Amino acid sequence: MSVTRLKPAPDLGPADGPFYVAAEKIYPREISGRFTHLRQAAVIALLGLFYGVAWLRWDGHQAVLFDLPARKFHLFGLTLWPQDFLYLALLLIIAALSLFFFTALAGRLWCGYACPQTVWTELFVWIEQWTEGPRSRRMKLDRGPWTAEKVLRKSLKQTLWVALAAWTGFTFVGYFTPIRTLGGDIVAFSLGPWSTFWITLYGLATYGNAGFLREQVCKYMCPYARFQSAMFDKDTLVISYDAARGEPRGARRRGTAARSVGLGDCIDCTLCVQVCPTGIDIRNGLQYECIACGACIDACDEVMDKMGSPRGLIRYTTEHALHGRATHLVRPRMLVYAALLLTVTGSLFYSLVTRMPLILDVIRDRNALYREVRGERIENAYALKIINLDDRAHTYRVSVSGMEGLELSAPSQPITVPPGSVSNIPARLAAPAARAGGVHRIALTVAAVDAPRITVRENTRFIGPTP
Amino acid sequence: MRPRVAPEPERRARGLDVALVLWPSFLAACGASLLFFAAIDPALLREVGPRLFAGIDREAGYALGFVFFWSVGAFASALSLYLIRTERPARGDDRAGTP
Repeated sequence: MSVTRLKPAPDLGPADGPFYVAAEKIYPREISGRFTHLRQAAVIALLGLFYGVAWLRWDGHQAVLFDLPARKFHLFGLTLWPQDFLYLALLLIIAALSLFFFTALAGRLWCGYACPQTVWTELFVWIEQWTEGPRSRRMKLDRGPWTAEKVLRKSLKQTLWVALAAWTGFTFVGYFTPIRTLGGDIVAFSLGPWSTFWITLYGLATYGNAGFLREQVCKYMCPYARFQSAMFDKDTLVISYDAARGEPRGARRRGTAARSVGLGDCIDCTLCVQVCPTGIDIRNGLQYECIACGACIDACDEVMDKMGSPRGLIRYTTEHALHGRATHLVRPRMLVYAALLLTVTGSLFYSLVTRMPLILDVIRDRNALYREVRGERIENAYALKIINLDDRAHTYRVSVSGMEGLELSAPSQPITVPPGSVSNIPARLAAPAARAGGVHRIALTVAAVDAPRITVRENTRFIGPTP
Repeated sequence: MRPRVAPEPERRARGLDVALVLWPSFLAACGASLLFFAAIDPALLREVGPRLFAGIDREAGYALGFVFFWSVGAFASALSLYLIRTERPARGDDRAGTP
């Protein structure tokens, strides 16, 4: 796949016409079939999750909430903090590796079924088909004059689009600020400026991407479309036109045996081109514009059924299979991707399970190195910061180790810290003056009284007079 | 000589240039905001930052930070695109040379 070299602007004289042209509008033809049903199911499931999960409750809070104002993430029973950024990083790595794995296995599954661009475009096209009718009617409507019917149909479409885009923006923001509060604010006209900003931004993006840009996002804006070929090999499932079987293409009467009139199975009905949401001709071979939605397969299968020819002139297949060779599912590339994926997923789960919902920070008092108490004991002061990352309150006990005779003279024990809170506690350690000379490496341990698993140890120093 | 009409990929909708500037910078801004705000609480900027940040609460901090990253990215994208668009054609390159 080569990067298209763009013609430099100064070269384009007026004779060449304008440098910019309007993108040709694509009217995807409606189609029914196996892959269309699969995509419809994916659209309903994914959008159902997106619009639905925001409303789920869990233990008295929103089940999935990336609460930016409060800087904590609720994921059902789990509460994550900015300190847990590692998990988010691991999650993103897992997402990327899954994309590699599934691309190598079955091509652009992501594009055809799961990409938000595909999913929302599908939804917007459904509205378009419902308000403006099938492909031929839509084309006629766009060409025709502004009749009352056209105004009515177009404004109905736009109203539904805008409403859907606004609801999408609202739902999106509802994952970052509690959605019920957000909804209440909208109803009461007391929405804050920044929530308004984000809802508008996301709503506009939905409207623009799914209503107008559509396939142009995949063709001109999507980086994945350009680099996915690096994950392809001759054993990757791709949508292919079987040229050996189809060519030479041409029209013929129904019931004519193709070979007897010197033709292949392709009757050149161009339905595969008409249904294509990106407007390409799959018969020209695999192109980076192809989002692997399978619409052309459904269209062609239908035609083959009518012509009495076997299905699969256009089908999911591999380059090896197309050339009559064996397809290998297990290959080094797959093993490497799978191994990486398992390792990262495993470490994410391991660290989640062993996650310590407690942080201890120990800072030595900066004002004095040490203090003599009644001439017989040496005391050091510290500031303890105990952060309870758990969903419930815990009671902790602080202990010291690493030096003989060292005792905790403050704070009074035990210490209770509410869920998701920070406790700043001044602490004092004291040791007999006879043993306190010099610098000692010591450790402070905070352990939850009510949960033996939760314990954190932090190293620090105890300083006495120079011996 | 008949004026050569550039084939499809060379002539493009004006909106696409806008998209080519705004989209990559949007993606970069998402990543930058994620990393930056995971480490730094925007409410902290008000406390320790210069007076400029006074009166910016957390929500405003997120939004302004995002817009800031996006603008920086968009500037870089626009500059790159401008340089590509105004590049002098390579000698002997028939795709870019005069017809």
